[in-house]
Amino acid sequence: MPVSGRKVPPHAIEKEQATVASPISGREVELPAMWNRMFESRVLSDYGPDGFAKIGALPGGESLEWCYGCGKCIPVCPVDVVGEYGPRKLHRKVQTGTDLFGDPDLWLCTTCGNCLRVCPKEVDMIQIMPAVRESAITDGGQVPAELQDVFEKTFRYGNALGANPRRRAQWAASAGVPVRILAKDPAPVDVLFYVEDYWSYHPRGQEAAKAFARVATALGVDWAILGPEEKTLGDSQRLAGEKGLFDSLVEDAAATLAKYSFQRIVTPDPHAFNALVKEYPKRGHEFDALHYTQLLAPLAGQITWAKTLNLKVTFHDPCYLGRHNGEYDAPRTLIEAIPGVELVEMGRCRENGYCCGGGGGGMWLDGFSRDYASERLSERRVREAAQTGAEVLVVCCPYEVSRFEDAAKSTGNDHLRVLDIIELIDEAMGLRPADG
Amino acid sequence: MSSDTIVVIGGGPGGLRAARGIAEIGGKVVLIEQRDFLGGTPIAENYAGLTPLNEPAKPAMQRMIDAVTAQPGADIRLSTQVRAVAGDAGAFTLTLRGPGGEESLDCGAIIIATGFGHFDPGRETQMYGYYEFPDVIALQDLEAMLSDHNVVRPSNGQPPERVCFIQCVGSRDRHIGNEYCSKVCCGVASKEAIEVRQLLPDSKVFIFYIDMRMYGFWENEIYWPAQEKYHVQYVKGIITEVLPKDGRLLVRGEDTTMGRPMEVPMDLVVLSVGMEPSPGTRKMARLLGVRQNKYGFVDAVAGPLDPVSTSREGIYACGAALGPADLEDTVSSASDAAMKAFAFLRSRSVAAAS
Repeated sequence: MPVSGRKVPPHAIEKEQATVASPISGREVELPAMWNRMFESRVLSDYGPDGFAKIGALPGGESLEWCYGCGKCIPVCPVDVVGEYGPRKLHRKVQTGTDLFGDPDLWLCTTCGNCLRVCPKEVDMIQIMPAVRESAITDGGQVPAELQDVFEKTFRYGNALGANPRRRAQWAASAGVPVRILAKDPAPVDVLFYVEDYWSYHPRGQEAAKAFARVATALGVDWAILGPEEKTLGDSQRLAGEKGLFDSLVEDAAATLAKYSFQRIVTPDPHAFNALVKEYPKRGHEFDALHYTQLLAPLAGQITWAKTLNLKVTFHDPCYLGRHNGEYDAPRTLIEAIPGVELVEMGRCRENGYCCGGGGGGMWLDGFSRDYASERLSERRVREAAQTGAEVLVVCCPYEVSRFEDAAKSTGNDHLRVLDIIELIDEAMGLRPADG
Repeated sequence: MSSDTIVVIGGGPGGLRAARGIAEIGGKVVLIEQRDFLGGTPIAENYAGLTPLNEPAKPAMQRMIDAVTAQPGADIRLSTQVRAVAGDAGAFTLTLRGPGGEESLDCGAIIIATGFGHFDPGRETQMYGYYEFPDVIALQDLEAMLSDHNVVRPSNGQPPERVCFIQCVGSRDRHIGNEYCSKVCCGVASKEAIEVRQLLPDSKVFIFYIDMRMYGFWENEIYWPAQEKYHVQYVKGIITEVLPKDGRLLVRGEDTTMGRPMEVPMDLVVLSVGMEPSPGTRKMARLLGVRQNKYGFVDAVAGPLDPVSTSREGIYACGAALGPADLEDTVSSASDAAMKAFAFLRSRSVAAAS
């Protein structure tokens, strides 16, 4: 199977002979075969700077107009690999009259940041997309229903899954080690572990959360969680356009965190990590924030291993840990420390890692995006992982386990297991209870 | 007869720079200009601002002129043409025809600074209609309007709402015979686009291009500001014809990035005409017997490390007489030619004395 996805060919009408007339000049031209499709209702009549002016008026929206059409972004855009969306194409569409505020393209970008990495003009889709989305939402534009649903759940329950906030720490009961909840035991603590939504509620995420509890405890980390007081930090909701929701979540989280004394915040969610290191300081909240791999990587040498796993694995860089925040080594340090684990890299890794499709709201737009892509980004990525011959696709972002497990099934790669790094460590340390 | 005088032919930016340089280092220089004024093409063609920094052309050129006229060692002959040459390096004799009739002038070295001419858009092989439609103009026509701070549609005297530039007119074209890139038109068009946007803030300005070529600092000095600050719209795709439609001009071409045709209404179409050797450059090259390249520019025979020596000893060229050149190229090569000509005569006189 070729590495690239099946691209949807442009809709074309071809006839043996055709006489076409320009609706503007009125000229008629007789054209044979393939050339006539160029003229099928595709003539432009007007375009200009107005679209850029509208987007540029939004804070963060200025740079779309800066594109000079080099096209470097297109080959690295994960969405373009499976569809027909890419930043340069978007620039051209806006120039030719597409109203991004009401266009499906608005919701296809996952804010993975690979275009910005290569863009010589620093056209910053990471700022453009949230700005335009926010404006579209505020002006009552068409927000995909599934995304709107997540916004509402986040607003009502403080988590994207719409789960009961009181059950946020329920996973801890079966972790096999005591998990300290600060509301009950508010003494100062070294590590405040911000569990985030998917490790709190998603069954596969809960597995990882329990594994973390056992590993952190075994390594002597002084840690605790907020428990039912915790709400999502909502960084993906922000990037999906709900800045207002994010701002109110910041206030909630900051107020909760202010109640307790801790040295560091550690989170398994690169999106939460991104919010803590990039967005919170802008709003006056400075924390010593770490991704959990950054907490554990320096401790890798102290780990007492119980098992040799004998596994060939490949690793998927989370966009918001790698490209957005420059951490490529901590996860690899941990993976390579596990006895018997052989790490083989995928072609697209580290700085050029391929997006799982979950960022920037993509986590909640799979149904919407289906109409604009030949396959899901996660499916594309899983096929790439399977090509390495690895038995396990290792991840360290809570979005990815469920996304990739679904994709492994749908692409016929059921043999490919998807595990968080922490699950491998837990297993190799012999901490995992026999009943799982 | 052996002479330590250097003749500079041409009183534009290159000739002025060369003459000034020679005089400043103590040489004797005669500057010959066929027009009755100095300043060359920027003045003759009413340039508004000089590329890239858009400094007003007239005072900038006047400063160059003043720097030459202030030199006691510089002899300036206006309304004068070179009619014939005799002798060899170190001892040329030129026949000049000026306001006072014919005279002969001895000189040891010659610098050709006869510059370029704008490509005649009537020769282009597309259908732009430069001589057919009043609202199709060329870069230098727009320069003249910008000099007057009055950019209008020549057809009706009204300010244009939509202005476009069409790049590479007369350049990079095998049909026309000018395969070379004229080097400055991307920058000049972008500079003029900025000026139009400054003058007419409500106008929409487009540049249709094949490749934008703005080397070095022109990228950040012109291209990026044009796009980012002045909202000039760059469209990759070149126009193939211009048609009249409802009192406007319809430009038609292929939008190459979208892979489809485009037809866009415009009020004013500016052809970014390229550079060709000026009539003076062709004439002087023939008269002085220096080799020309296939396009008629003076051939620099010694390769990139000596861009000013011609095929004939004692004769040098500079600026756009050698090929497409911006002002920086022109004054740099003019200084180089001045230095080479001066050094050539100095080394001969040292050799003769010893």
